[in-house]
Amino acid sequence: MSTTLKKTIPVAIVFVVALLVMMDYFIVTPPTDAAGKSWTSGAVKDLQNWGIILTAFSLGFGAVNLFYFHSKHISRRTPDQWFFSLWLLIVIVIFTAVGVFTGPTSTSYNWIYNASYFALSATVYSSLGFYMTSGLYRALRIKNIESAIFMVVGVIVLAKNAPALAVYSPALAAWGSFIENVITTSAQRGIMIGGALGAISLGIRTMTGRETGFLGKLTEEEKGGGTE
Amino acid sequence: MLILVWIFILGSMEMAKKKLLPFRKLTGLDALPEMVGRAAEMNRPVHFTTGLGSLTESVAPQLVAGLAVLAHVSELCAKYGVKIIYSVYAAQVMPIATELIKAAYVKAGKPEEFHAEESVRYLSGEQFAYASAVQGIAERERPAANIMIGPFYAESMLFSETFQRIGSIQLAGTARGYQIPFFAIVCDYLLIGEEIYAAGAYLSGDPVQVGTTRGQDYGKIVALILMILGILATAAGSTAITSLLGM
Repeated sequence: MSTTLKKTIPVAIVFVVALLVMMDYFIVTPPTDAAGKSWTSGAVKDLQNWGIILTAFSLGFGAVNLFYFHSKHISRRTPDQWFFSLWLLIVIVIFTAVGVFTGPTSTSYNWIYNASYFALSATVYSSLGFYMTSGLYRALRIKNIESAIFMVVGVIVLAKNAPALAVYSPALAAWGSFIENVITTSAQRGIMIGGALGAISLGIRTMTGRETGFLGKLTEEEKGGGTE
Repeated sequence: MLILVWIFILGSMEMAKKKLLPFRKLTGLDALPEMVGRAAEMNRPVHFTTGLGSLTESVAPQLVAGLAVLAHVSELCAKYGVKIIYSVYAAQVMPIATELIKAAYVKAGKPEEFHAEESVRYLSGEQFAYASAVQGIAERERPAANIMIGPFYAESMLFSETFQRIGSIQLAGTARGYQIPFFAIVCDYLLIGEEIYAAGAYLSGDPVQVGTTRGQDYGKIVALILMILGILATAAGSTAITSLLGM
Protein backbone atom coordinates (compact mmCIF):
# COMPACT_ATOMS: atom_id res chain seq x y z
CA MET A 1 0.00 0.00 0.00
CA SER A 2 1.35 3.41 -0.88
CA THR A 3 2.46 5.88 1.78
CA THR A 4 -0.25 8.32 0.64
CA LEU A 5 -3.03 5.79 1.29
CA LYS A 6 -1.55 4.32 4.43
CA LYS A 7 -0.31 7.44 6.18
CA THR A 8 -0.80 10.80 4.48
CA ILE A 9 -4.58 10.66 3.90
CA PRO A 10 -5.50 9.21 7.35
CA VAL A 11 -3.25 11.72 9.13
CA ALA A 12 -4.68 14.61 7.06
CA ILE A 13 -8.23 13.51 7.95
CA VAL A 14 -7.30 13.25 11.64
CA PHE A 15 -5.69 16.71 11.55
CA VAL A 16 -8.64 18.45 9.89
CA VAL A 17 -11.26 16.73 12.06
CA ALA A 18 -9.36 17.34 15.31
CA LEU A 19 -8.76 20.98 14.39
CA LEU A 20 -12.46 21.53 13.64
CA VAL A 21 -13.56 19.94 16.92
CA MET A 22 -11.00 21.96 18.91
CA MET A 23 -12.00 25.19 17.15
CA ASP A 24 -15.63 24.56 17.96
CA TYR A 25 -14.80 23.95 21.61
CA PHE A 26 -12.24 26.67 22.29
CA ILE A 27 -12.91 29.48 19.82
CA VAL A 28 -16.06 31.57 19.81
CA THR A 29 -16.84 32.04 16.10
CA PRO A 30 -19.59 34.45 14.92
CA PRO A 31 -23.01 32.89 14.26
CA THR A 32 -23.78 32.20 10.62
CA ASP A 33 -27.43 31.13 10.80
CA ALA A 34 -30.70 32.30 12.34
CA ALA A 35 -30.37 29.81 15.20
CA GLY A 36 -27.17 31.57 16.27
CA LYS A 37 -24.88 28.65 15.42
CA SER A 38 -21.41 29.09 13.94
CA TRP A 39 -20.12 27.20 10.89
CA THR A 40 -17.85 25.08 13.08
CA SER A 41 -20.72 23.81 15.24
CA GLY A 42 -22.60 22.75 12.10
CA ALA A 43 -19.53 20.96 10.74
CA VAL A 44 -18.86 19.25 14.08
CA LYS A 45 -22.51 18.16 14.30
CA ASP A 46 -22.21 16.63 10.82
CA LEU A 47 -19.02 14.83 11.84
CA GLN A 48 -20.75 13.45 14.92
CA ASN A 49 -23.61 12.19 12.76
CA TRP A 50 -21.13 10.48 10.44
CA GLY A 51 -19.60 8.88 13.50
CA ILE A 52 -23.00 7.54 14.55
CA ILE A 53 -23.63 6.12 11.06
CA LEU A 54 -20.20 4.47 10.96
CA THR A 55 -20.77 3.01 14.43
CA ALA A 56 -24.10 1.55 13.29
CA PHE A 57 -22.41 -0.06 10.27
CA SER A 58 -19.62 -1.43 12.42
CA LEU A 59 -22.23 -3.08 14.68
CA GLY A 60 -23.32 -5.06 11.62
CA PHE A 61 -19.70 -6.01 11.10
CA GLY A 62 -19.56 -7.15 14.75
CA ALA A 63 -22.70 -9.28 14.30
CA VAL A 64 -21.20 -10.97 11.21
CA ASN A 65 -18.02 -11.68 13.21
CA LEU A 66 -20.08 -13.23 16.03
CA PHE A 67 -22.08 -15.46 13.65
CA TYR A 68 -19.00 -16.56 11.70
CA PHE A 69 -16.92 -17.34 14.80
CA HIS A 70 -19.64 -19.19 16.71
CA SER A 71 -21.06 -21.07 13.71
CA LYS A 72 -17.61 -22.54 13.18
CA HIS A 73 -17.51 -23.77 16.79
CA ILE A 74 -20.96 -25.30 16.47
CA SER A 75 -20.13 -27.11 13.22
CA ARG A 76 -16.83 -28.38 14.68
CA ARG A 77 -18.45 -29.30 18.02
CA THR A 78 -15.54 -27.61 19.84
CA PRO A 79 -15.42 -29.14 23.36
CA ASP A 80 -16.61 -26.82 26.18
CA GLN A 81 -17.51 -24.17 23.64
CA TRP A 82 -20.03 -25.26 21.01
CA PHE A 83 -23.12 -25.34 23.26
CA PHE A 84 -22.34 -21.81 24.54
CA SER A 85 -21.96 -20.70 20.94
CA LEU A 86 -25.29 -22.29 20.02
CA TRP A 87 -27.02 -20.67 22.98
CA LEU A 88 -25.55 -17.27 22.06
CA LEU A 89 -26.81 -17.48 18.48
CA ILE A 90 -30.28 -18.59 19.64
CA VAL A 91 -30.45 -15.61 22.02
CA ILE A 92 -29.28 -13.21 19.27
CA VAL A 93 -31.98 -14.53 16.92
CA ILE A 94 -34.70 -14.24 19.63
CA PHE A 95 -33.70 -10.67 20.53
CA THR A 96 -33.50 -9.65 16.85
CA ALA A 97 -36.86 -11.20 16.00
CA VAL A 98 -38.64 -9.62 18.96
CA GLY A 99 -36.94 -6.28 18.31
CA VAL A 100 -37.81 -6.27 14.60
CA PHE A 101 -41.42 -7.45 14.93
CA THR A 102 -42.51 -5.66 18.10
CA GLY A 103 -40.06 -2.74 18.23
CA PRO A 104 -37.15 -2.10 20.60
CA THR A 105 -39.38 -0.12 23.00
CA SER A 106 -42.20 -2.69 23.14
CA THR A 107 -43.26 -4.42 26.35
CA SER A 108 -42.15 -7.81 25.00
CA TYR A 109 -38.66 -6.58 24.16
CA ASN A 110 -38.32 -4.81 27.50
CA TRP A 111 -39.49 -7.93 29.28
CA ILE A 112 -36.93 -10.26 27.72
CA TYR A 113 -34.21 -7.64 28.22
CA ASN A 114 -35.05 -7.08 31.89
CA ALA A 115 -35.70 -10.75 32.63
CA SER A 116 -32.51 -12.02 31.01
CA TYR A 117 -29.72 -9.49 30.41
CA PHE A 118 -30.57 -7.07 33.20
CA ALA A 119 -30.71 -9.81 35.82
CA LEU A 120 -27.52 -11.45 34.58
CA SER A 121 -25.74 -8.12 34.43
CA ALA A 122 -26.66 -7.38 38.05
CA THR A 123 -25.42 -10.85 39.01
CA VAL A 124 -22.03 -10.36 37.34
CA TYR A 125 -21.71 -6.92 38.94
CA SER A 126 -22.50 -8.39 42.35
CA SER A 127 -19.85 -11.07 41.93
CA LEU A 128 -17.34 -8.21 41.96
CA GLY A 129 -17.57 -8.26 45.76
CA PHE A 130 -15.97 -11.71 45.85
CA TYR A 131 -13.23 -10.74 43.41
CA MET A 132 -12.46 -7.64 45.46
CA THR A 133 -12.27 -9.68 48.64
CA SER A 134 -9.80 -12.17 47.18
CA GLY A 135 -7.74 -9.32 45.69
CA LEU A 136 -7.79 -7.49 49.02
CA TYR A 137 -6.65 -10.62 50.85
CA ARG A 138 -3.55 -10.84 48.66
CA ALA A 139 -2.92 -7.09 48.80
CA LEU A 140 -3.01 -6.94 52.60
CA ARG A 141 -0.35 -9.59 53.16
CA ILE A 142 2.74 -7.98 54.69
CA LYS A 143 5.83 -8.75 52.58
CA ASN A 144 7.86 -5.55 52.90
CA ILE A 145 7.62 -2.01 54.29
CA GLU A 146 5.43 -0.77 51.44
CA SER A 147 2.93 -3.59 51.86
CA ALA A 148 2.93 -3.00 55.65
CA ILE A 149 2.05 0.68 55.10
CA PHE A 150 -0.56 -0.40 52.58
CA MET A 151 -2.06 -2.80 55.10
CA VAL A 152 -2.25 -0.22 57.90
CA VAL A 153 -3.79 2.42 55.63
CA GLY A 154 -6.17 -0.14 54.14
CA VAL A 155 -7.37 -1.27 57.56
CA ILE A 156 -7.94 2.34 58.71
CA VAL A 157 -10.02 3.17 55.61
CA LEU A 158 -11.87 -0.15 55.91
CA ALA A 159 -12.65 0.58 59.56
CA LYS A 160 -13.80 4.10 58.70
CA ASN A 161 -16.29 2.69 56.20
CA ALA A 162 -17.55 -0.02 58.57
CA PRO A 163 -20.45 1.68 60.44
CA ALA A 164 -19.95 -0.08 63.81
CA LEU A 165 -16.22 0.69 63.98
CA ALA A 166 -16.78 4.29 62.90
CA VAL A 167 -19.28 4.74 65.75
CA TYR A 168 -17.10 3.18 68.47
CA SER A 169 -13.85 4.70 67.26
CA PRO A 170 -14.41 8.23 65.93
CA ALA A 171 -10.63 8.89 65.87
CA LEU A 172 -10.17 6.05 63.38
CA ALA A 173 -12.98 7.51 61.27
CA ALA A 174 -11.25 10.90 61.30
CA TRP A 175 -7.96 9.33 60.16
CA GLY A 176 -9.83 7.45 57.45
CA SER A 177 -11.43 10.67 56.21
CA PHE A 178 -8.04 12.40 56.21
CA ILE A 179 -6.49 9.59 54.16
CA GLU A 180 -9.37 9.64 51.67
CA ASN A 181 -9.87 13.40 51.38
CA VAL A 182 -6.28 14.61 51.52
CA ILE A 183 -3.76 11.90 50.65
CA THR A 184 -5.79 9.87 48.14
CA THR A 185 -7.45 12.88 46.52
CA SER A 186 -4.15 14.70 46.01
CA ALA A 187 -2.56 11.59 44.50
CA GLN A 188 -5.57 11.08 42.23
CA ARG A 189 -5.37 14.71 41.09
CA GLY A 190 -1.68 14.28 40.31
CA ILE A 191 -2.50 11.25 38.17
CA MET A 192 -5.34 13.20 36.55
CA ILE A 193 -3.11 16.16 35.64
CA GLY A 194 -0.42 13.82 34.27
CA GLY A 195 -3.07 11.89 32.34
CA ALA A 196 -4.55 15.06 30.84
CA LEU A 197 -1.11 16.27 29.73
CA GLY A 198 -0.38 12.81 28.32
CA ALA A 199 -3.64 12.88 26.34
CA ILE A 200 -2.77 16.34 24.94
CA SER A 201 0.70 15.11 24.01
CA LEU A 202 -0.75 12.02 22.30
CA GLY A 203 -3.22 14.28 20.48
CA ILE A 204 -0.45 16.53 19.20
CA ARG A 205 1.64 13.55 18.08
CA THR A 206 -1.39 12.07 16.32
CA MET A 207 -2.35 15.36 14.65
CA THR A 208 1.18 15.98 13.43
CA GLY A 209 1.47 12.43 12.10
CA ARG A 210 4.24 11.36 14.49
CA GLU A 211 2.12 8.85 16.41
CA THR A 212 0.91 6.28 13.93
CA GLY A 213 0.25 3.39 16.30
CA PHE A 214 -3.44 3.38 15.34
CA LEU A 215 -2.40 2.91 11.69
CA GLY A 216 -0.27 -0.11 12.53
CA LYS A 217 3.51 -0.31 12.59
CA LEU A 218 4.69 1.60 9.56
CA THR A 219 7.96 0.84 7.85
CA GLU A 220 10.61 3.58 7.75
CA GLU A 221 9.68 4.13 4.11
CA GLU A 222 6.00 4.59 4.99
CA LYS A 223 6.95 6.92 7.84
CA GLY A 224 8.67 9.07 5.27
CA GLY A 225 12.22 7.98 6.05
CA GLY A 226 14.54 5.56 4.23
CA THR A 227 13.95 1.88 3.58
CA GLU A 228 13.99 -0.42 6.60
CA MET B 1 -2.30 26.46 29.68
CA LEU B 2 -3.25 24.45 26.61
CA ILE B 3 -1.31 26.82 24.34
CA LEU B 4 1.70 26.58 26.67
CA VAL B 5 1.59 22.77 26.56
CA TRP B 6 1.39 22.88 22.74
CA ILE B 7 4.46 25.12 22.66
CA PHE B 8 6.36 22.85 25.08
CA ILE B 9 5.51 19.69 23.16
CA LEU B 10 6.25 21.08 19.70
CA GLY B 11 9.47 22.61 21.09
CA SER B 12 10.48 19.28 22.57
CA MET B 13 9.80 17.55 19.25
CA GLU B 14 12.16 19.98 17.53
CA MET B 15 14.77 19.56 20.28
CA ALA B 16 14.57 15.76 20.02
CA LYS B 17 15.43 15.96 16.31
CA LYS B 18 18.85 17.30 17.33
CA LYS B 19 19.49 15.25 20.46
CA LEU B 20 18.03 11.98 21.82
CA LEU B 21 16.36 12.80 25.11
CA PRO B 22 16.65 10.38 28.04
CA PHE B 23 13.51 8.37 28.76
CA ARG B 24 12.59 6.67 31.99
CA LYS B 25 12.33 2.87 31.71
CA LEU B 26 8.79 1.53 31.66
CA THR B 27 9.17 -1.98 33.05
CA GLY B 28 5.72 -3.06 31.89
CA LEU B 29 6.49 -2.30 28.26
CA ASP B 30 9.98 -3.79 28.49
CA ALA B 31 8.34 -7.01 29.71
CA LEU B 32 6.24 -7.47 26.56
CA PRO B 33 8.77 -9.75 24.76
CA GLU B 34 9.03 -11.84 27.95
CA MET B 35 5.24 -12.13 28.14
CA VAL B 36 4.87 -13.20 24.51
CA GLY B 37 7.91 -15.49 24.85
CA ARG B 38 6.29 -17.19 27.83
CA ALA B 39 3.12 -17.74 25.77
CA ALA B 40 5.25 -19.28 23.00
CA GLU B 41 6.93 -21.64 25.46
CA MET B 42 3.62 -22.69 26.97
CA ASN B 43 1.92 -22.93 23.56
CA ARG B 44 -0.91 -20.76 24.79
CA PRO B 45 -2.39 -17.55 23.35
CA VAL B 46 -1.89 -13.93 24.39
CA HIS B 47 -5.04 -12.04 25.32
CA PHE B 48 -5.37 -8.30 24.68
CA THR B 49 -8.22 -5.92 25.36
CA THR B 50 -8.68 -2.16 25.36
CA GLY B 51 -11.60 -2.09 27.79
CA LEU B 52 -14.77 -0.11 27.30
CA GLY B 53 -13.20 2.44 24.99
CA SER B 54 -14.92 3.83 21.95
CA LEU B 55 -13.49 6.23 19.40
CA THR B 56 -16.20 8.86 19.86
CA GLU B 57 -15.93 9.42 23.59
CA SER B 58 -13.60 11.36 25.87
CA VAL B 59 -11.71 8.13 26.61
CA ALA B 60 -10.70 7.77 22.94
CA PRO B 61 -7.03 8.77 23.63
CA GLN B 62 -6.73 5.83 26.03
CA LEU B 63 -8.10 3.53 23.35
CA VAL B 64 -5.68 4.92 20.75
CA ALA B 65 -2.85 4.38 23.24
CA GLY B 66 -4.00 0.77 23.70
CA LEU B 67 -4.10 0.22 19.94
CA ALA B 68 -0.49 1.39 19.64
CA VAL B 69 0.53 -1.30 22.12
CA LEU B 70 -1.68 -3.84 20.31
CA ALA B 71 0.27 -3.15 17.10
CA HIS B 72 3.54 -3.90 18.89
CA VAL B 73 2.24 -7.02 20.68
CA SER B 74 0.80 -8.35 17.39
CA GLU B 75 4.21 -7.98 15.81
CA LEU B 76 5.80 -9.95 18.64
CA CYS B 77 3.09 -12.62 18.42
CA ALA B 78 3.54 -12.93 14.66
CA LYS B 79 7.31 -13.21 15.11
CA TYR B 80 7.11 -15.92 17.80
CA GLY B 81 4.17 -17.76 16.22
CA VAL B 82 1.83 -17.08 19.15
CA LYS B 83 -1.93 -16.77 18.73
CA ILE B 84 -3.27 -13.36 19.76
CA ILE B 85 -6.84 -12.83 20.91
CA TYR B 86 -8.11 -9.25 20.90
CA SER B 87 -11.42 -8.89 22.72
CA VAL B 88 -13.53 -6.08 21.30
CA TYR B 89 -16.15 -4.06 23.14
CA ALA B 90 -16.81 -1.26 20.62
CA ALA B 91 -17.54 -2.67 17.17
CA GLN B 92 -16.10 0.46 15.50
CA VAL B 93 -12.63 -0.60 16.70
CA MET B 94 -12.83 -3.95 14.88
CA PRO B 95 -11.76 -2.83 11.40
CA ILE B 96 -8.81 -0.86 12.86
CA ALA B 97 -7.68 -3.75 15.05
CA THR B 98 -8.05 -6.22 12.19
CA GLU B 99 -5.86 -4.05 9.98
CA LEU B 100 -3.28 -3.58 12.75
CA ILE B 101 -2.90 -7.28 13.44
CA LYS B 102 -2.98 -8.20 9.76
CA ALA B 103 -0.21 -5.67 9.04
CA ALA B 104 1.89 -7.22 11.83
CA TYR B 105 1.57 -10.70 10.30
CA VAL B 106 2.33 -9.39 6.83
CA LYS B 107 5.40 -7.59 8.18
CA ALA B 108 6.56 -10.83 9.84
CA GLY B 109 6.17 -12.58 6.48
CA LYS B 110 3.41 -14.86 7.80
CA PRO B 111 0.13 -13.49 6.36
CA GLU B 112 -1.27 -17.02 6.06
CA GLU B 113 -1.13 -17.40 9.87
CA PHE B 114 -3.52 -14.50 10.44
CA HIS B 115 -7.16 -15.51 10.95
CA ALA B 116 -9.25 -12.38 11.54
CA GLU B 117 -12.24 -14.10 13.16
CA GLU B 118 -9.98 -15.98 15.59
CA SER B 119 -7.79 -13.02 16.53
CA VAL B 120 -10.29 -10.16 16.60
CA ARG B 121 -13.41 -11.13 18.50
CA TYR B 122 -16.37 -8.86 18.89
CA LEU B 123 -17.97 -9.81 22.21
CA SER B 124 -20.65 -7.33 23.14
CA GLY B 125 -21.37 -3.64 23.45
CA GLU B 126 -22.85 -4.24 26.92
CA GLN B 127 -20.40 -3.92 29.80
CA PHE B 128 -21.09 -7.09 31.77
CA ALA B 129 -21.84 -9.25 28.74
CA TYR B 130 -18.40 -8.23 27.43
CA ALA B 131 -16.86 -8.85 30.87
CA SER B 132 -18.40 -12.33 31.10
CA ALA B 133 -17.24 -13.17 27.59
CA VAL B 134 -13.65 -12.16 28.42
CA GLN B 135 -13.82 -14.30 31.55
CA GLY B 136 -15.11 -17.17 29.40
CA ILE B 137 -12.14 -16.80 27.02
CA ALA B 138 -9.79 -16.82 30.03
CA GLU B 139 -11.30 -19.99 31.47
CA ARG B 140 -11.57 -21.90 28.18
CA GLU B 141 -8.43 -20.86 26.32
CA ARG B 142 -6.21 -20.07 29.32
CA PRO B 143 -4.00 -17.37 27.77
CA ALA B 144 -0.44 -17.30 29.11
CA ALA B 145 -0.40 -13.51 29.05
CA ASN B 146 -3.08 -10.88 29.45
CA ILE B 147 -2.59 -7.27 28.41
CA MET B 148 -5.21 -4.65 29.26
CA ILE B 149 -4.59 -1.08 28.15
CA GLY B 150 -7.35 1.48 27.83
CA PRO B 151 -10.31 2.79 29.79
CA PHE B 152 -11.56 0.21 32.30
CA TYR B 153 -14.47 0.41 34.69
CA ALA B 154 -15.96 -2.16 37.09
CA GLU B 155 -14.73 -5.04 34.93
CA SER B 156 -11.08 -4.32 35.78
CA MET B 157 -11.15 -6.48 38.90
CA LEU B 158 -13.19 -9.22 37.19
CA PHE B 159 -10.55 -9.49 34.46
CA SER B 160 -7.42 -9.21 36.56
CA GLU B 161 -8.60 -11.72 39.18
CA THR B 162 -9.80 -14.24 36.59
CA PHE B 163 -6.55 -14.11 34.63
CA GLN B 164 -4.53 -14.20 37.85
CA ARG B 165 -6.38 -17.36 38.87
CA ILE B 166 -5.53 -19.15 35.61
CA GLY B 167 -1.87 -18.15 35.97
CA SER B 168 -1.55 -15.52 33.25
CA ILE B 169 1.22 -12.95 33.46
CA GLN B 170 -0.51 -9.57 33.32
CA LEU B 171 0.19 -6.03 32.17
CA ALA B 172 -2.50 -3.43 32.83
CA GLY B 173 -2.65 0.27 32.13
CA THR B 174 -5.37 2.84 32.44
CA ALA B 175 -5.76 6.55 33.03
CA ARG B 176 -8.97 6.00 35.01
CA GLY B 177 -7.87 6.79 38.55
CA TYR B 178 -10.46 4.62 40.31
CA GLN B 179 -9.33 1.43 38.56
CA ILE B 180 -5.57 1.87 38.99
CA PRO B 181 -5.55 0.47 42.57
CA PHE B 182 -7.38 -2.67 41.44
CA PHE B 183 -4.85 -3.32 38.72
CA ALA B 184 -1.98 -2.44 41.08
CA ILE B 185 -2.86 -5.12 43.61
CA VAL B 186 -3.39 -7.94 41.12
CA CYS B 187 -1.35 -7.41 37.95
CA ASP B 188 2.35 -8.15 37.48
CA TYR B 189 3.07 -4.94 35.57
CA LEU B 190 1.26 -1.63 35.64
CA LEU B 191 1.19 1.53 33.55
CA ILE B 192 -0.21 4.44 35.53
CA GLY B 193 -2.12 7.30 33.90
CA GLU B 194 0.12 9.21 31.54
CA GLU B 195 2.40 6.19 31.00
CA ILE B 196 -0.16 4.60 28.69
CA TYR B 197 -0.11 7.68 26.45
CA ALA B 198 3.68 7.48 26.28
CA ALA B 199 3.56 3.77 25.39
CA GLY B 200 3.28 4.33 21.64
CA ALA B 201 6.25 6.72 21.68
CA TYR B 202 8.27 4.40 23.92
CA LEU B 203 7.69 1.33 21.76
CA SER B 204 8.29 3.19 18.50
CA GLY B 205 11.83 4.17 19.51
CA ASP B 206 11.30 7.35 17.49
CA PRO B 207 13.31 10.15 19.21
CA VAL B 208 10.83 12.84 18.13
CA GLN B 209 7.90 10.94 19.65
CA VAL B 210 9.93 10.34 22.79
CA GLY B 211 10.72 14.07 22.83
CA THR B 212 7.03 14.96 23.25
CA THR B 213 7.08 13.38 26.70
CA ARG B 214 9.65 16.03 27.71
CA GLY B 215 7.02 18.62 26.76
CA GLN B 216 4.57 16.82 29.07
CA ASP B 217 7.08 17.16 31.91
CA TYR B 218 7.39 20.91 31.33
CA GLY B 219 3.58 21.09 31.41
CA LYS B 220 3.63 19.30 34.76
CA ILE B 221 6.17 21.79 36.12
CA VAL B 222 3.89 24.68 35.06
CA ALA B 223 0.89 22.94 36.68
CA LEU B 224 2.91 22.46 39.87
CA ILE B 225 3.98 26.12 39.96
CA LEU B 226 0.38 27.22 39.40
CA MET B 227 -0.76 24.94 42.22
CA ILE B 228 1.78 26.36 44.66
CA LEU B 229 0.93 29.91 43.61
CA GLY B 230 -2.77 29.07 43.95
CA ILE B 231 -2.29 27.73 47.48
CA LEU B 232 -0.28 30.79 48.53
CA ALA B 233 -2.66 33.25 46.84
CA THR B 234 -5.77 31.60 48.31
CA ALA B 235 -4.18 31.54 51.77
CA ALA B 236 -3.47 35.26 51.37
CA GLY B 237 -7.11 35.87 50.44
CA SER B 238 -6.53 36.46 46.73
CA THR B 239 -8.60 34.74 44.02
CA ALA B 240 -6.26 35.82 41.19
CA ILE B 241 -5.05 32.32 40.29
CA THR B 242 -8.46 30.65 40.57
CA SER B 243 -9.98 33.44 38.44
CA LEU B 244 -7.15 33.05 35.88
CA LEU B 245 -7.89 29.32 35.59
CA GLY B 246 -11.63 29.97 35.41
CA MET B 247 -12.39 27.89 38.50
